[in-house]
Amino acid sequence: MTRLFAKLLAAFTLVWALPAAAQPVDTGHLVAELVARDQSIAPGATTYVALRQKIDKGWHTYWRNSGDSGEATRIAWTLPAGWTAGDIVWPAPKRQPTGPLMNYGYQDEVLLPVPITAPASAKPGETVTLKAQATFLVCEEICVPEDAELTLSLPVREGLAEPNPQWSGPIAKTLAAAPAPAGLSGAFAKQGEVLALAVTGEALKGADLADTYFFPFDSTVIDHAKPQAIERGPDGLTLALTPGYAFQQPQAPKTLSGVLSVGDKSYEISAAEGALPAGAAGLGPPARTGGAAGGSLGLPLAAAFAFLGGLILNLMPCVFPILAMKAASLAGHAHERRAAQGQGLAFLVGVLATFLALALALIAVRAGGAAVGWGFQLQSPPVVAGLALLMLAVALNLSGVFEVGSSLQGVGTGLAGKRGLAGAFFTGALAVVVAAPCTAPFMAPALGWALTQSAPAALTVFLALGLGFAAPFALAAFIPGLLSRLPKPGPWMDGFKKLLAFPMYGAAAWLVWVLTLQAGDTALARILMAAIILALGAWLLGVAQRRHAGGASMLASAGVGAALTLAAALAAIWPNYAEPGAAVASSGGGGKADVPYEAYSPEKLAAAQAAGKPVFVNFTAAWCVTCQVNERVALTSQAVADAFQQSGAVYLKADWTRKDAEIEAELAKHGRAGVPLYLVYGAKGGEGVILPQILTEGLVVRALKDAQGR
Amino acid sequence: MLSRSILLAAAVALAAPAAYAAPVVGQAAPAFTVKDADGKTRSLSEFKGKTVVLEWTNDGCPYVQKHYKSGAMQGLQKGASKDGVVWLTLISSAPGKQGYVEGAQAKGWKATNSAGSTALLLDPAGQVGRAYEAKTTPHMYIVDKAGKLAYMGGIDDKPTADPASLKGANNYVSAALSDIKAGRPVATAVSKPYGCTIKYSE
Repeated sequence: MTRLFAKLLAAFTLVWALPAAAQPVDTGHLVAELVARDQSIAPGATTYVALRQKIDKGWHTYWRNSGDSGEATRIAWTLPAGWTAGDIVWPAPKRQPTGPLMNYGYQDEVLLPVPITAPASAKPGETVTLKAQATFLVCEEICVPEDAELTLSLPVREGLAEPNPQWSGPIAKTLAAAPAPAGLSGAFAKQGEVLALAVTGEALKGADLADTYFFPFDSTVIDHAKPQAIERGPDGLTLALTPGYAFQQPQAPKTLSGVLSVGDKSYEISAAEGALPAGAAGLGPPARTGGAAGGSLGLPLAAAFAFLGGLILNLMPCVFPILAMKAASLAGHAHERRAAQGQGLAFLVGVLATFLALALALIAVRAGGAAVGWGFQLQSPPVVAGLALLMLAVALNLSGVFEVGSSLQGVGTGLAGKRGLAGAFFTGALAVVVAAPCTAPFMAPALGWALTQSAPAALTVFLALGLGFAAPFALAAFIPGLLSRLPKPGPWMDGFKKLLAFPMYGAAAWLVWVLTLQAGDTALARILMAAIILALGAWLLGVAQRRHAGGASMLASAGVGAALTLAAALAAIWPNYAEPGAAVASSGGGGKADVPYEAYSPEKLAAAQAAGKPVFVNFTAAWCVTCQVNERVALTSQAVADAFQQSGAVYLKADWTRKDAEIEAELAKHGRAGVPLYLVYGAKGGEGVILPQILTEGLVVRALKDAQGR
Repeated sequence: MLSRSILLAAAVALAAPAAYAAPVVGQAAPAFTVKDADGKTRSLSEFKGKTVVLEWTNDGCPYVQKHYKSGAMQGLQKGASKDGVVWLTLISSAPGKQGYVEGAQAKGWKATNSAGSTALLLDPAGQVGRAYEAKTTPHMYIVDKAGKLAYMGGIDDKPTADPASLKGANNYVSAALSDIKAGRPVATAVSKPYGCTIKYSE
């Protein structure tokens, strides 16, 4: 009985001898305390004791390299004789951008574990007191140096230590997640103003590299605040860093070591100066590029931008002809509310369905690794040729050459309603296909963001874009006051319709021009032949339709017409077009004052920058109407030509009319998925400034002047 | 036309801010023109032919206080002035942020701090700070008589706010000034600046 009591007593005392989760100290902007992983420590063993910082909301402490400012937390231990403390095991930090600066550190709560080793001579049964003087800088907007004298008592006991129920889990988790070497090999090379760091290894293969970031241990080797552009390779990645102060010293660094953070994983790496391994580059930026712009948009904001962009898209020149068509059909039903509403909805559905289909195709193709962006479908000559013929067919239809649907006789109410719905749906689809190459303001950042996100998020953005695009017409059908203001239908409508055929002829002509830029002069002959055959086919069909309406059967004529139409379409899209000579693409087009330009390449950009010249880069495409309008309106005026001459700026044109992985990568780097994009680089180098998507003469002149002094 | 200007405004709002190239030791120091505490316009070019020290400061920063409360910074300033060196103290704190001064407070700054600098320059828009890529307070630069950047970085090699660290610290600025005075190349021309983040305007 007494023995049992003694045992109980012993157990009781043991409980009391547990590491009293030492007194937390509130130092003003955080609460600091020492917490132990284990209940005890055996002689000669090592355990982990962590400095826990529970940091006030909005404040932060720093990593071992604090970045541009700040100061790392330090711990000075006072331990009994023979006891030793190792270095802090630093968890991977978070980036803390403040204004133009970048710091690395921790928010909310952090555990900084330290290995503590007991000497073999430690006596089981004794309880030692570990003392730590912790010094840290806590910053919000302002910084306060704080410190705390912390103690922790730890019993010495033989055998495996019991885990501390409160802290063993969190400390073990922190240790497991802490950056550790993972067999990654690294190399770096200073290439002009860029410090290229290549890292390869198993851990990186197939990983999502989008959020990759390099935190250097040494605060002088890179410019922390500069973006780190990522390029993927089959075996790893290459980061384009900006060299720091250390590279201005006579003895430039020979190694770069630090933490490579990849998504929620992080690895310790050390790179030596030397040749970059093959396999660390070549696959372009990761699908989810942060980039300088657009990377920080959230889904709601991106969707809002997309909706606005969709609305504005209605004002862009490329959609105009289609909208003219829509206006015509709306006018036709202005006084039949139900029909108008049905049409409005059908138009909406057509727009949304086509946007979704395009988005899905885009996502699928990108998932396959191809470098494509928004408007990609117009990079294919057969698609452009097909669209040109489609525009022509629509124009011929508006001109009254033939009718869509069964025949003129079918103007029965029910049928008309039905046909009207299909027509509205088709108009919506057509509008989207043609509108795709036009990026409107607000739309570019949203799309750039969307294409780097998961499929559902991307689809949401595209859906918002479609809603915005379709909204004006769909709503117009539901606002009664609006429709009744339109003139009553009558014979004038036939004239109006025929008038609207002309913008459509214009659209067809424009697409033919795009095609010749893509596929050369021979394509011109081919598409014109196909167009004439199509027109003949359409006329024959029309003849058949009218005869049929008159009661006569003209099966032969209809058959020939349909066959010809089919043949024309086929001839336009098959066989594929040959690649034109390089000379074709540089046909400038008769501007008022052509500014001489060179084709863009990263090397040319670097060379011009090295020569201390400002650089204007125009990311454009023949099929991008906004781009063409900008070039005619703002880039060919005498004032702009003079500004180029005065500033000595180099004009580089990145023509994306055809697929080009290099240009695609450059667009992605700036958070864009399509053209236009205008970048102006200052004479003193550095990052390019993004100009708005709609240029004016004054804006370009000012940008060039600024660039001269920058 | 109206819609076009609205579009334009919207597009301008989306444009990314400008970025600047980093200053490089041995190359021309970025030129600047700013108002001093007395409202007088001062520029770097007026000191051509003289060695110029640029010191970024912020009264409220504990790292700055380490150097001022101990008198170490004032000693350095007065010693430099004796050698004919121009010492310009700059404040790039934005209005409403820590360290920002204006009017009487700016005029009184020198007396309050018993500073030995030639002038206190006010850079509330952060233009000079950004041109030099000044990151911390203190952050030190030396421009030589030819107008070239001769030193940039920390004031010494003890990146802490603890006043005890002043003892035994290697002061890079006084070392660089001695090198320049003796006509030697600056031994440590670049070092890591340390201290509080400069409270720039957003």
